[in-house]
Amino acid sequence: MKDTKYFLDAGTTWSKILAIKSSKYSNFNDDGSVKSLYDSTNKVIKSYKILPTASLACLDIEFSAATGHSAGLKNVLKYENEVVALANGAKNALLESNIVLDLGSRDIKWVKFKDGKFSDMDWNTSCASATGATIEMLLKFYNVDVNELEVQDEKYAVTCGIFGLEKIMDDVAKGFEARIAISKFINGIAFNAWNFTKNPDKLCISGGFCENKCFVDSLKKYCEVEVLGRFVLVDGLYSEYQIKHRTV
Amino acid sequence: MKDIIGFWGYPRPEIIKEYKNKYPNAKWVDLDIDFNYPKANILPEAYCCIIKNIFNNAFYLKDKLIVILAPIGKDKCDSAFFAVEILRENGFNIKTSYFEEVLPLSDLPNTPICNSSLPLREKIEKVTANIIDEKNYAHLVQCKAEFGFWGVPPNDLSILEVFPDKTAVFGWSRCVEARNPGNLALEMFVEPHVPTVFFAQTFCAKNQLAKYLAAKYNGLYIDIDTRPTNSVKAKIEAFLRLR
Repeated sequence: MKDTKYFLDAGTTWSKILAIKSSKYSNFNDDGSVKSLYDSTNKVIKSYKILPTASLACLDIEFSAATGHSAGLKNVLKYENEVVALANGAKNALLESNIVLDLGSRDIKWVKFKDGKFSDMDWNTSCASATGATIEMLLKFYNVDVNELEVQDEKYAVTCGIFGLEKIMDDVAKGFEARIAISKFINGIAFNAWNFTKNPDKLCISGGFCENKCFVDSLKKYCEVEVLGRFVLVDGLYSEYQIKHRTV
Repeated sequence: MKDIIGFWGYPRPEIIKEYKNKYPNAKWVDLDIDFNYPKANILPEAYCCIIKNIFNNAFYLKDKLIVILAPIGKDKCDSAFFAVEILRENGFNIKTSYFEEVLPLSDLPNTPICNSSLPLREKIEKVTANIIDEKNYAHLVQCKAEFGFWGVPPNDLSILEVFPDKTAVFGWSRCVEARNPGNLALEMFVEPHVPTVFFAQTFCAKNQLAKYLAAKYNGLYIDIDTRPTNSVKAKIEAFLRLR
């Protein structure tokens, strides 16, 4: 197992793990540039896994680096700040002046790059009533499958997510379908996310909401959207690890 | 026995001097600080915690308070102006003051504490302690600022420990060291190219300035209520590292 390094993004609900299997950990060319991670001659194999955070305690793995709200584990060698991991992970994808937004279970954060360099950031740090965990609870509460959600023209104001929940309950009580009401809530989250990032023309997104089609389609009502996937933060951890261990 | 002089903000120096002469043995207590005394339950729950501290401290220490020196002008805030009326109605002896003189920026005294290489928390503690026990800090080693902290002394000073020592102090805290607490021009002054965190207590009117200035200077705006969460600390840490 020594030839495999693990990197962890331990979210509130879900954890993302990147395993790097390499014979020498020499991921750099002779001139110091980073080898392509998908170059078969590099003998580096990346594999990703998502699992419930609650199951992390059962894993007998040493993580070279970890980030996220639930990453306070004994078997983590180095803890990294989430926004820094996001910035490092998204850097390669953001060659121009772009913003990466990460929307997950309990928080929303973004980093802006200008000419390839960090320019601005923000991170909601208190209220999580309009994030992924709320959507998961709503889907369970109303017994709605996530695939039943579809983009709506109408949106609820979710600046306060609790008030947004009240709107859902009001509409469902009036006879509206729960899936429509939740979709309007998600449109509100998308609008909020766009406002939170200062109304850009384009957003690159990461985090659990990448896999929520209703959210992605809702966000497209406000700006161009590029989906980076759920593993940007673990990629950022690995990227930083590579830089620090480039002489190894 | 009444043996405490309470104060908040920056009472006029001549009033401080007057009461020091009048009560040389009195203990001075900054009522802005959270001493974790029982709640007075006078103010709404959702309110500036510095003003709540004033009420909690004042009511807890009521039997010992000789007087409260209470700035109520532009050097403090409207909440303090209203607080005086409530405290008077509840039997407190209050001496109000306005410290609103504004010197041109070019005529202001140096601010050796704010520009020093001391840890940020120590800088803020020295600035506030200097209100009552004025000392000369001209000897402090000055440094070129790598980061900036703008704002009032936070309710929980532990947030300041996140910053590196080469963090300059701006905003109202710097106005206090410059003995010009009502100087809005100085309060709004920052070094434009120094990455700065603009802080205000939640529910404080200074959030208006903090958010505006953060946008203007590409800084980071944060507001904190009572205690900073780990997320807020991490957000500042990320800003400092990425900038």
